[in-house]
Amino acid sequence: SVTEIRSGFNAIKANIQARDPIKTLSILSYPHSLHKFKSSDRCCITHHLFNFYVDKVFKHCKTEDSYVNRKISSIANSFLSVRRKLGQCHEQNQCMCGQESTEKLDQILVNYEGLNVTSAAIKSLGELDILLDWMEKS
Amino acid sequence: SGELYCSLPNPRNVHFESVNMKNVLHWSAPEGTGDGVLYKVKYSVYGVGKWIRKPECRNINRTWCDLSNETSDYEEQYYASVKAFLSGMCSDWMETTRFNPLTDTKIDPPTVSLSSTERSISIILTAPEMWRSPEGESLSLLQVYPGLQYNVSVLNKKTKKRWFFSISNNTLVVPSLEPGTAYCVSAQIHVTTPLLHSGFSKEYCTDTLKDKTA
Repeated sequence: SVTEIRSGFNAIKANIQARDPIKTLSILSYPHSLHKFKSSDRCCITHHLFNFYVDKVFKHCKTEDSYVNRKISSIANSFLSVRRKLGQCHEQNQCMCGQESTEKLDQILVNYEGLNVTSAAIKSLGELDILLDWMEKS
Repeated sequence: SGELYCSLPNPRNVHFESVNMKNVLHWSAPEGTGDGVLYKVKYSVYGVGKWIRKPECRNINRTWCDLSNETSDYEEQYYASVKAFLSGMCSDWMETTRFNPLTDTKIDPPTVSLSSTERSISIILTAPEMWRSPEGESLSLLQVYPGLQYNVSVLNKKTKKRWFFSISNNTLVVPSLEPGTAYCVSAQIHVTTPLLHSGFSKEYCTDTLKDKTA
């Protein structure tokens, strides 16, 4: 569940964010915050961002710290189970992506591909609270 | 950048202390430096490219700086940094970890007001005020944390029996109590997402009215 993701992230937040020296760029928030998006687009953005994390981010998040690695894989597993539920919701509700959301998702990929893959993955992982804060906001 | 030669030991333990979104930067003086050390402070919004100086915290000798105004958008995340100066020497800039006002603030307990009848107590809980700038609108905790709940403990002082309640709104009536008895109430704020909770408030006590028919 999302609560498990949050507590797993809280356990490694300082460690992961300390590995990200680039303070001038955000994967999820550049150039506009996620909070800018209308609630009608939430289903689409959440669905695609979960795919982004599962398909692109977690596999490149290896560290030399076994504790951190265990936490990362537990977060990844929680993402898989939440994604499954989101998938069903996505199929039933056909939550379409508006143009703004599509542009935002494209921008996130541009931000991600603008860095080398390990830095991009660690930075994305360090921004999980940005995604969770936005998801949990009513 | 015209900086002096920086061989002064660094400020230590640079971190945000945040209570009800009043976000204050704190640090400790560099090791082995006595009086006379001055500091300057800058901050940045995560993901935005520039550091911004805080004029009110330039050449200060205290070891804290209130950045509540600068970090009031709780949908953003921040870094802050401090540099020390002494006798023509300076330290490096020392930074905080990434600060997320939404999840990294502490919340004070609610205040509790009580009224009673012969067999019940009415409890009204008031959440703490969130920090706001002088010209800003007031912001309630509920607006910031929609998943806010209260945990309430009610103690019968005579029998020492205690009940716990978890409520979403801020009022509670506890029925079926004993007349002429002292009851003490304490309450805590509990936010489910993100996971945050205040401590329990101090105990507020009241007596139920005596049974007139007895």
